[in-house]
This record gives sequence, structure tokens and C-alpha cells, in this order.
Amino acid sequence: MIEITHLSKVYSRGLYALRDLSLAVETGEFVFLTGVSGAGKSTLLRLLLREELPTTGELVVNGQDVTRLRRGALQTYRRSLGVVFQDFKLIPRKTVFENVAFVQHVLGVPLGQRQRRTFQVLKWVGLQHRMNAYPQELSGGEQQRIAIARAVINEPTLILADEPTGNLDPDLSLEIMNLFREVNSKGTTVLIATHDRELIRRVDRRSVILESGRIVEAA
Amino acid sequence: MRALKYALGEALISLWRSRSSGIFSIATIAATLLIFGGFLLIASNLEPLVESWSAAAELSVYLTDEVSDGERTEIEALLVASDLVDAREYVSRAEALARFSREFSDLNAALGGDEENPFPASFEVRLRAGVDETAAVDALADRLRQTAGVDDIRYDRVWLERLSAAATLLRAVIIGFAAVLLAGAALTVSNVVRLAFYARRDEIEIMRLVGAPAAYLHGPFLAEGVVQGGLGAGLALGILWIAFAFARDRYGDLVTGVLGLGELVFLPGRYAWLIVGGGMVVGCLGGLIATWRDPGRGARPRRTTSEA
Repeated sequence: MIEITHLSKVYSRGLYALRDLSLAVETGEFVFLTGVSGAGKSTLLRLLLREELPTTGELVVNGQDVTRLRRGALQTYRRSLGVVFQDFKLIPRKTVFENVAFVQHVLGVPLGQRQRRTFQVLKWVGLQHRMNAYPQELSGGEQQRIAIARAVINEPTLILADEPTGNLDPDLSLEIMNLFREVNSKGTTVLIATHDRELIRRVDRRSVILESGRIVEAA
Repeated sequence: MRALKYALGEALISLWRSRSSGIFSIATIAATLLIFGGFLLIASNLEPLVESWSAAAELSVYLTDEVSDGERTEIEALLVASDLVDAREYVSRAEALARFSREFSDLNAALGGDEENPFPASFEVRLRAGVDETAAVDALADRLRQTAGVDDIRYDRVWLERLSAAATLLRAVIIGFAAVLLAGAALTVSNVVRLAFYARRDEIEIMRLVGAPAAYLHGPFLAEGVVQGGLGAGLALGILWIAFAFARDRYGDLVTGVLGLGELVFLPGRYAWLIVGGGMVVGCLGGLIATWRDPGRGARPRRTTSEA
């Protein structure tokens, strides 16, 4: 699913965010990327999302060299991913329903089908009753559940999550992780960056520890 | 179609939200197009006048008072033989006097009543349509001048050409002026649209990350520019029509009387569409300028290089 080979990312002034990193994630795996702040977790996710390009190395997802994607292919690639952020990144002027349905709207899914699917995923995250609310009317945990609903609506093959529980209390964090586990149980590969060691211990899945841009431990 | 519908919907919402800056932008476009439309309105009303001048006698051959019938026949034969001449009309001295009395009745007193008729007899010659051989017409005029019985030749085409050249120059100056104003209007639109773009930067970033195509990312801003341009053009046409109606009711008779025009008319459809289309193009340009520097336009982010 993900093949990372000798990947380095160097910012100006010679600052290494990632240094000669190699990692393979199999289809259907659930992997935590962990490490202290500045270890390179978010950089790796940004490279996987192709927000940035690596300085050297290869980055292959689903057989595609992510660094060589042109604009159209990049959009298609991103639509094949589900992305969840620490700050939720919901569109404030759209309702919960519109936020979740937007990706399908872009893909041209017919209205009826779009409505059914959106309602289905909202029901799955337990927020169908809040579908007409705006993001700012929801709690942090609810907003993150909406973000997860948006991430899974297209049934992506890979979900990338950057500190998805960073703004949530431990109980809510576990709830969110349960959603990810449920998605993963249906075959979707999940890659989560988090510094929350306790959460990783409770979820008990493969974890990759980064330090100064290198993998120091894989468990 | 889906993207267009989305872009238009978002553009209208955005315009409504930032209506104060939107109104400023629309007013700028309207002011610019009003100037341009005003010129077109004047030009379209003067067109028949210029056409009538062009269609009028272009070459006047004035005869001496002592011209004999034979000389006159010879002059007429010269005109008939020329390929340049489309039509000719002989105007006798009495006819010229009658025409003056009819057209300038107020000045009849100046003719001195019983005194001798001051008007010469003449041939009014209309040249073939499309004749653009000034040298050939000059040669014909020279030949006529050397013919017995001819007193003077007046070649109207020279001043018509000068008038036409002046009109062309004026048109070029006004088009240049309008182009500068339109460029200014496009920049105003771009600034207003850019404000909307910055206000929604986070949202655009989210859309980019979920793989929204460019039509969804930038389409609403281009559409916003086009809508602003269209509304500005509509406003300009509305103001122009009101100004035209006011001027026509108040000064229409005076203007038509002085210039010898028929009824004053509003802009023909093709000019109105030109204004609307121009406004939309200007607005679209503004939208393009506003989104041009968006990093998401490029397919590939820059690869940072190692300095280590």
C-alpha cells in the first residue's frame, strides 16, 4: 500500500525533517506514527498528501509514485484518500451535512445517492441528528467525528490522520480511535500520527517511532 | 455544468456577503462602461449623418455665368465618359437660388431681393460607391478645370476623408482611454475578489486537500468577477438609457435640428451586447488576476533543496 524508500526532506538552512526514512505499510494495516514534536510525523503525512515534495527518496502509494503526479492525477489521488486533521478543518459556512457531502458533490455523485450516503456515514458517527448544524455549534469531539465521516464517505483505501485526538480528552480520544478501528476492520489502511503513547497502548496496533526524522523503533 | 452551477451559486453567496466592496467594484465597472457606452451612443447616432454626407454630392463642378450650351454639353460628356462617376445632376442658377431660399429661408433678405442671382450653375456629381482612387478623381477634377465653362471644382471627399481620419483618431483615443479605464476596473475587481479569496483561504485549502478540481477551487472567484462585470455593465446601460431618455426629451429636437439628424436612437443591440460582454470579460480578468498567485494553481509544489 505505502512504500517509502530512503526518503529525506530537508528544509532551507539544512534542517532535516526526515532523514533517509524507509517504511512499508501493507494494505489493511493500522499503523501509528509517533514521536515527540518535530520528529517528522506531520512532515511524512504532508508528503503522503503531496502538500510537499521530498528532497530525495521514493514515495509510492497504491503503486503510484506520489512525487510525480500531475495536477489531474493529484486531485484523483487525493480523492482516494481520507484525511483527518487535529483542527478538524471543517468548512465553517457549510452545515454538517454539506461538509460531509461536499467530496461526493465534487465527484459528481447524483444528489439522491449523495444524500443517502451522507446520512449513512453521519448515522455511523452518531451525528445524523446534527446534520443541519454548523461546525462551530458542535463540540470538539463532534467536529472530529464529522471530519472522520467526511474522510470515509468516499470509501478511501487509505486514511491519513494527523493528531486526530490532539484536542480531545482521553474518553473522546478512544471513541475516535474506535471509529478508526471500525473503518480499518473493513479493509481500509489507516495511518495515524500521534504523540499520545497512552492511546497507542490502549489501541494496541503497530507503531513506528520517529526521532529527528529517522525511525528509531517499530513495534 | 455541475461545476458551473456550483461556481455561480458560490459567487452569488460571496457577492452578497461582501456586498459593500462588491458594490464599489460594480460601480467602478459601471462608470468605465458608461464612458465607453456614451461614446458608442454618440457615434451610433452620428453614423447616419456621416453616411448622408458621404452619400451627398462629392464633386461639385461650378460653371461660369457665361457658359454656353455647347460647353455645358462637353462638360457633361466628360462626366458621362468617366468610370468614376456614378450619377450627376445639373443645377441651374435659378434652381440653386430656389434651393437656397427653401433651405435657408431666414437668409432670404440677405440676397437683396431684385438684385442679380449670385449662385452659379453647377453639376453635382456622385462618385461610384467604393471609389478610393484619389489620384484618379484628382485627374478628373484637373481635366474638368481646364475645360471651357468651368469656373471652380469643389471636391468634398477631401474634407470627408479628413473628417473620417479625425473620427478614426478620436475613436482610437477613446478606445485607448477606455482600455486604460477597463484595466483599472479589472484591477478593482481583482482586489475585491482577492479579499473574498483570502477570506476563504482555509476553505480552499480544505477543498484542495480533499481533491477538489480547479473548477471548484477557482471557478467561484472567476464567476464572481463575471457577475460583477455583468452587473456593472447592466448598471451602465441602465444609467445610459435614463440619461439618453432625459437628453432626448429635453434637447432631442435641438440636436436633430442643428445636425440634420432623424430621430435620436438608443444603442443598437450589438453595442449593448458589446458592453455587457466587455463587462463580463473585464470581471473575469479581475477574477483571474485575483486567483493567479494561488499556489494551488500549480500542479507541483516546489521541491526544497538541501543546503546541508
